[in-house]
Amino acid sequence: MSDLFLQVTVSGLLIGGVYALLSIGLTMIFGVVRIINFAHGELMMLAMYLTFWLHTAHGVDPYLSLLVVAPAMFAIGVAIQRLVVQPILEAPALMKVFATVGLYIALQNLALMLFTADFRTIQTPYASASFRIGAISVSEPRLYAFLCAIVMIVALWAFLKFTLVGKALRAVAENRTVSALMGIRVSRLYLLAFGVGSAITGVAGTLLLPFSYVFPTIGSIYTLVAFVVVVLGGMGNMLGAFFGGLFIGLVESFSGTYVSPAIKEAAYFVIFILVLLVRPQGLFGMGKGSEEIGLK
Amino acid sequence: MTRKLAVPLAGLAALAALPLVVTQSYLLHLVILILFYVALTAAWNILTFSGKVSFGHSAFFGLGAYASTILLVKGGVIPWIGLLAGIAMALIGALTMTVPLLRLRGPMFTLATIAYGEVLRRVAIIWRDLTAGSEGLTIPFDPGFLNMCFTSKAAYYYIFLAFAAVAVGISHWLYHSAIGFHLRATASDEEAAQALGIDTNRVQVVALMWSAGITGALGVFYAQYVYMIDPDLVFSGTLFAIQPALNGIIGGLGTVWGPVLGAVLMTPLGEFLRSYLGHVRQGLNFFIYGMALIVVVMVLPGGIISALAPLRSRLRGAGPRSPGKDVA
Repeated sequence: MSDLFLQVTVSGLLIGGVYALLSIGLTMIFGVVRIINFAHGELMMLAMYLTFWLHTAHGVDPYLSLLVVAPAMFAIGVAIQRLVVQPILEAPALMKVFATVGLYIALQNLALMLFTADFRTIQTPYASASFRIGAISVSEPRLYAFLCAIVMIVALWAFLKFTLVGKALRAVAENRTVSALMGIRVSRLYLLAFGVGSAITGVAGTLLLPFSYVFPTIGSIYTLVAFVVVVLGGMGNMLGAFFGGLFIGLVESFSGTYVSPAIKEAAYFVIFILVLLVRPQGLFGMGKGSEEIGLK
Repeated sequence: MTRKLAVPLAGLAALAALPLVVTQSYLLHLVILILFYVALTAAWNILTFSGKVSFGHSAFFGLGAYASTILLVKGGVIPWIGLLAGIAMALIGALTMTVPLLRLRGPMFTLATIAYGEVLRRVAIIWRDLTAGSEGLTIPFDPGFLNMCFTSKAAYYYIFLAFAAVAVGISHWLYHSAIGFHLRATASDEEAAQALGIDTNRVQVVALMWSAGITGALGVFYAQYVYMIDPDLVFSGTLFAIQPALNGIIGGLGTVWGPVLGAVLMTPLGEFLRSYLGHVRQGLNFFIYGMALIVVVMVLPGGIISALAPLRSRLRGAGPRSPGKDVA
């Protein structure tokens, strides 16, 4: 195996970890609340700007700012669920989509108002630092991002697996009516799911900022990434989202190196369509409720 | 039949006289913009008869604009022939979109359309040999009817007026034709429609073709109106995919007149917000648009037209009218 090939594989997997985190946020919200959140990438964009602002205005290190960003994004997620999604929970799927599209337009332009259309990033001492392992180099912020993402994913998995609240969340994802009959307060768990989903999406945004740019329209790209990953892994399937994230990271890395960085969105789209044609249930089986949102 | 046509024809005649009254360039531009969005929203809305909502119509718009402009700039082909090429390109683009159309339902289809429009914009940026990339293409200013190029705004006004009438006319005709009934049956329950013997795939493809073809033609007229096109302009999702969708949803999705109403109300509002608030804060106008969409979905899911329906039936008295079935 050539060094370049190895190098490209490693960088793909590293960025893929962050994509996995972003996509698990989406699939968490979808799995529990059963809403397709078209504003998902915009949540990430908000977190990136929050990190940017904390760093430039208050000198907070991006990794330290997670302590602020995660709770803030949790609160924003809860607010969105309470104010936008809850009132239309019984509306047809398309109406819910329109509401989240409205949210995406509003958030994107809110960012434009507050931060203008400029590309922004933060300067950190470790931004261009890297470790050398044999013939390949591993960028420090990318490695940190990957490790943080893995820690978050494992923590989320443990939360869902072992705590009572986590079990209740899984029960609601499985069947909301029966869960309500068992005494689970479903609407509260919706708030929690949207909050947690937004928080981990926000963490993904913060982790990306030290080595990428943020601008108001960046969200739509990440919405596409998250949806491709989630469709690939199976709607509502967390493990699928994890492997799907790594896979899309590899696709981005390989198409960017061997073809052109400009075609990566086209590559996502082709994979999206191929998966839908060949295996619409995703590679790892579909979660409950996929038929509601248009996957046959 | 003649009585039915009387009102629209009188309306068209009144509109045709408008440039005699409105002589201010900016006002005329605003009216042209309204007519443009009436046509674009009506075209976009044809697909929603089938219950499918696209946020990627910018793809067809851009294909139309680029087809005619490339032919004109590189081959000297007059835009009236370019118009046919633009429609043909949009139809070819629509053929590609039939894959997600027939494969996906509801939100997943909508998502695929967003990605589709975005990918074409990227392709137009990258394919520099053909499109000149982000620098864009400029249409030479050479006034004359054959060149679809005019010194007076009024000429453009008549082009867009005629085309808006054609687009709304096609939308009206399709809605009330057998295909329209099949489409609406498909929208409310695809399996049931199939059980009744409707070829749901065929009617959806027909709706997409009409929708895309008209959108492509509009792309050609638009390119001739603005003289300069580049990928970020004519493949703009915000302007030519989201905006008609917003107009349609706010006016009343899947009806004939709801989207027209939406475009007539939202275009001047958007222009007003853009010219007044745009100076205060860039983005404020679309921020308000996004919030308006959320509010409409919550309080008026059938759009403005659904609020007018009871009023209209009262005005008409107790005539033998079949209640219009709305999508969504």
